[in-house]
Amino acid sequence: MKKAFLLSIALLPALTLPAKEKIILVNEGMWQTDNGQLTYFEDGEVVSNQWFRDVNGRKLGDTPNDIILVNDGIIAIAANWSNIIQFITPDGKAVGETEDVPNNRKLASDGRYVYVTSYAHEVGIDGDFRQFEKGYVAKIDATTFKTVDAVEVGYEPEGIALYGGHLFVANSGGYSFQEGHDYEHSVSVIDPATMKVVRTVDVEQINLYSKVSLSGQYLCINSPGDYYETPAATVILDCRAVLDGKPDAECFVLLPVASTSNTADTDGNFLTVGSSYSYLTGEYEFHYCTINPEEVCLSRGEAGVYIGLPGSVEEGIAGMAMPYSIFVNPYSGYIYATDAGEYTGAGAMYQWDPEGNFLGKHKTYINPGHFLALPPEKPQNGVTAPATDLPEMEGAIYNMQGIRVKNPISGNIYIKNGKKIIF
Amino acid sequence: MKTAPCISLVYGILLTVVLPALCGHGASAQTMASDSLHHLQEVEVVAVTPTKLLATEQRLQGKELQQLSTTSIADALKYFAGVQIKDYGGLGGLKTVNVRSLGAQHVGVYIDGIRITNAQNGTVDLGKYSLSTLETVSLYNANRLERAQSASEYASGATVYLQTRKPGTDSLSVMAGIGSFHTYRGRLNVQMSRRGWQGFIDGEYLNSRGDYPFRYKSEYEDTTGRRTNSDIEYFRIEGALFKRGFATHIYSYLSSRGCPGGIVRRLSDKYTNVGREWDRDIFVQASWQQAFGTRHFVRLNAKYAYEYLRYNTDYPENQNTARVDNRYRQNDAYASASYCLSPLRWLYLNLGYDARMSWLRSDVRNFSSVRRLDQKAVADLHLEWRGLRAEGSLLFQHYKDHTRVQAGAANPISRFTPSISIGWFWGGLTVRGWYKKIFRVPTLNDLYYTQAGNRNLKPEYTRQWNVGVEYAAAFGALRLSAQADAYINHIDNRIVCLPLRGTYTWSMMNYGKTLCRGLNLNASGRWAAGEWSVSLLGSLTLQRDVNRTNSEDEDTYNLPIRYSPKVSFGLTGMVGWRWLSLTVSEVHVGRRIWSYADPRDILAPYNNVDLRLAGQWRWLLASLEVNDLLDVQYEHVPRYPMPGRSFRLTLTYTLGNTNIKP
Repeated sequence: MKKAFLLSIALLPALTLPAKEKIILVNEGMWQTDNGQLTYFEDGEVVSNQWFRDVNGRKLGDTPNDIILVNDGIIAIAANWSNIIQFITPDGKAVGETEDVPNNRKLASDGRYVYVTSYAHEVGIDGDFRQFEKGYVAKIDATTFKTVDAVEVGYEPEGIALYGGHLFVANSGGYSFQEGHDYEHSVSVIDPATMKVVRTVDVEQINLYSKVSLSGQYLCINSPGDYYETPAATVILDCRAVLDGKPDAECFVLLPVASTSNTADTDGNFLTVGSSYSYLTGEYEFHYCTINPEEVCLSRGEAGVYIGLPGSVEEGIAGMAMPYSIFVNPYSGYIYATDAGEYTGAGAMYQWDPEGNFLGKHKTYINPGHFLALPPEKPQNGVTAPATDLPEMEGAIYNMQGIRVKNPISGNIYIKNGKKIIF
Repeated sequence: MKTAPCISLVYGILLTVVLPALCGHGASAQTMASDSLHHLQEVEVVAVTPTKLLATEQRLQGKELQQLSTTSIADALKYFAGVQIKDYGGLGGLKTVNVRSLGAQHVGVYIDGIRITNAQNGTVDLGKYSLSTLETVSLYNANRLERAQSASEYASGATVYLQTRKPGTDSLSVMAGIGSFHTYRGRLNVQMSRRGWQGFIDGEYLNSRGDYPFRYKSEYEDTTGRRTNSDIEYFRIEGALFKRGFATHIYSYLSSRGCPGGIVRRLSDKYTNVGREWDRDIFVQASWQQAFGTRHFVRLNAKYAYEYLRYNTDYPENQNTARVDNRYRQNDAYASASYCLSPLRWLYLNLGYDARMSWLRSDVRNFSSVRRLDQKAVADLHLEWRGLRAEGSLLFQHYKDHTRVQAGAANPISRFTPSISIGWFWGGLTVRGWYKKIFRVPTLNDLYYTQAGNRNLKPEYTRQWNVGVEYAAAFGALRLSAQADAYINHIDNRIVCLPLRGTYTWSMMNYGKTLCRGLNLNASGRWAAGEWSVSLLGSLTLQRDVNRTNSEDEDTYNLPIRYSPKVSFGLTGMVGWRWLSLTVSEVHVGRRIWSYADPRDILAPYNNVDLRLAGQWRWLLASLEVNDLLDVQYEHVPRYPMPGRSFRLTLTYTLGNTNIKP
């Protein structure tokens, strides 16, 4: 039925209908080549593979690493090698930028502030520079585009998510093989109001690296291990348990699969794609999993991990030259994955419906790695959108990352029916 | 035969100790009257060279080499057909040479017949070697094919030979130069020639800030700036001593330089991706060759090299990368013996054996020292019958590594590879054809480098086919020559660094095939009469170099290899009149793509015009060089701008003869 809906959309003149499926895809480009690009995709068509350049007449920067919707009017992009946090409107127009946070990595937001992890040791706050021995999380005001505060966490902090009014930061220690320090094995919990670390959870797995996904109270964190003796694993962190003050060991479950790229679907599961690699053997092991975090935590890892991805998604990803990223649009449930190909040529974006029926493959730019879904447009011009079989979407609640939330927490900001609400 | 390399090595070391004393003698020698610029000493070539070359050769030598507006070997090689220089810009940037798209690691660079090696990364940074002590720079595609060549001379896809100049008289020379971008240079050369001994000592110091301006202007940017972290300071000292078939060379290079990064969007200049590199290279080499009667010819080589590299990124301006301060130390001992037997006038046989031991140590985490033993043996048969010559060689190579790195050593490699050449000579005309198959072994970095090395790598193979024709003629004072070579190269199992599938981790892998078809043309005309001399040299490369990796990937398959131009050419004109000389050269490099993703991802074609004017008055020689006369902004690597127009003024004062490069 959903497929039929999309086909019907394709057959109707596009102009008369409000856009339902709006995706911004960040192409990292090649390192030190200054060719980070945005792909803008709407209802089955790539509008542009150089959207930022089209809209602004200039370049985005080098190696953009993450993108996030801050609120109705602002999107933030972390351009790592350019040391720039770029702010744009949902129309793609650049409205502000800052280089207060060099070597920026991943983003989170509460609608007013952007929180960004950084591998660097220096942050600019009001023209002053604060130094840290390890990495840090900076707080940037999305109305002034200025950094207002920062707090030191572990070495090379990577993924960041906001849950229950707290920031959860996965520390990697990823420079360990070059610098003197060891890999990290902890998640730092920060109170964003005071920018203080209120708790550090030891998750007993090193190198928490790559983007994290939040589904309800659960966080999916990947660890590639050390590529030698420690194999890859996935940490499922129960953020509620962390905030409730449960002992470290009761706050997480370790799963023996890699989830290099992970995303939350609209049913509360994590879809993960990962590979476990060892320089000792030179061998890979691929994992495609659907993880039900509630089941995982209740069973302490005995249940809840289902091998495979919906429909033809697994088959599609397995056939890619270089699987790079997986994403589920929280508003529609449509599934996306990218292929970086040979890293020197155009990447590709694959699209599936929520059941995993393949819808199409689209050419992108180099290294398409990071997705942002924009809320679907409301009907305009008196044209009514065709009836859909998505009644359960009406009234669904999303967090500020655009991820559907089953159990909202009171006092936090959510999206309901395309509007921000305080639950 | 077995002990000969050891004797030679000991001899070499002894001479190293003795050398400074001998050259001190040279320095205090009586000076001789100054010569004119145009009366250069003829060079004695010791090697038993066949009258006509079977190999495809391009050569710059003597006066012409010195009159080019060049200081580095990379600058001289860019005038050859089929050569692509990769240069990250500025004086401090890495300069490597790629011949017929084989890749820099397939090009062997030889000083006086002994290869410069780097077991760690397999490439030779040509910026480290000076033209000023050289007599000849030549490029051979495939083999040089001389008598009693060492086995390692057969072991690269293309070979660059640097022939050190043997002085004919005694002299003392002092040079001082000043150039754009805060560049200062000084050089001292002492040479002597007596009782059959010839030798020199040459020392040079250079300091450059390398802060050249650049501009990027396109539809989406207008970026201007000054290159930062592109400074270099080096001190090079070398000496050589020759007597008949004996030659020894000692060389030392100390440098400190910035490693500039790509120009990317930044909001200010606060953060630079600063990294610095320090090099200390030393080598000592000796060779001895001798004919026994008319049938036997023997050549022995020995070399010891030490390379120290320190790389540091631990600076406050660097917030973008890990803060490292690593040291790498390489020791390399080499010996070879080769023998040429000519039992009949129309036949000779080369037999050679080489052994090289390399040690690499580093303080990189999880890295343990690696030792590599590399042995080579070759048999090469030449036949001559009237104007017809044929040659076939078989090379055996064996590599074995020992290491305690966690992943263990790679499996030993043993391989045979052939080459065959055939040529026909008639008057000034030569027609030739050759085939060569050769591989490069994975370097120690490729195999063992922490978090990238892959000990399961296979060798990267190249197969080359070539047919060529060459013609030379003289009409009175006019000498003309031309050659054309058409070629096909296949490269299989390319060794590249790629991210691992489904992870964000990079590793070395065998990935990729390329096919290259091309045509190299060279033509030259030289005329000299009375007080005038005129030379015109030209080279042209037409090449179609395509990706044959993945036939299912329509976005890359059969498309041009990145960075490879279809057309490039060089033109050089030299005019000499009495005490003045003028050289104008132009190099054109065509359009190159650097990504397959967007047809706009290209490096624009460029023309580079260099000019050099030199004049001599008694003992003083002055030269003014202008590089990139038209101030063209161009790149070899995207976002690594090359310097635009620059000037260099050099004064050289010489007592004795002028047989040195100004």
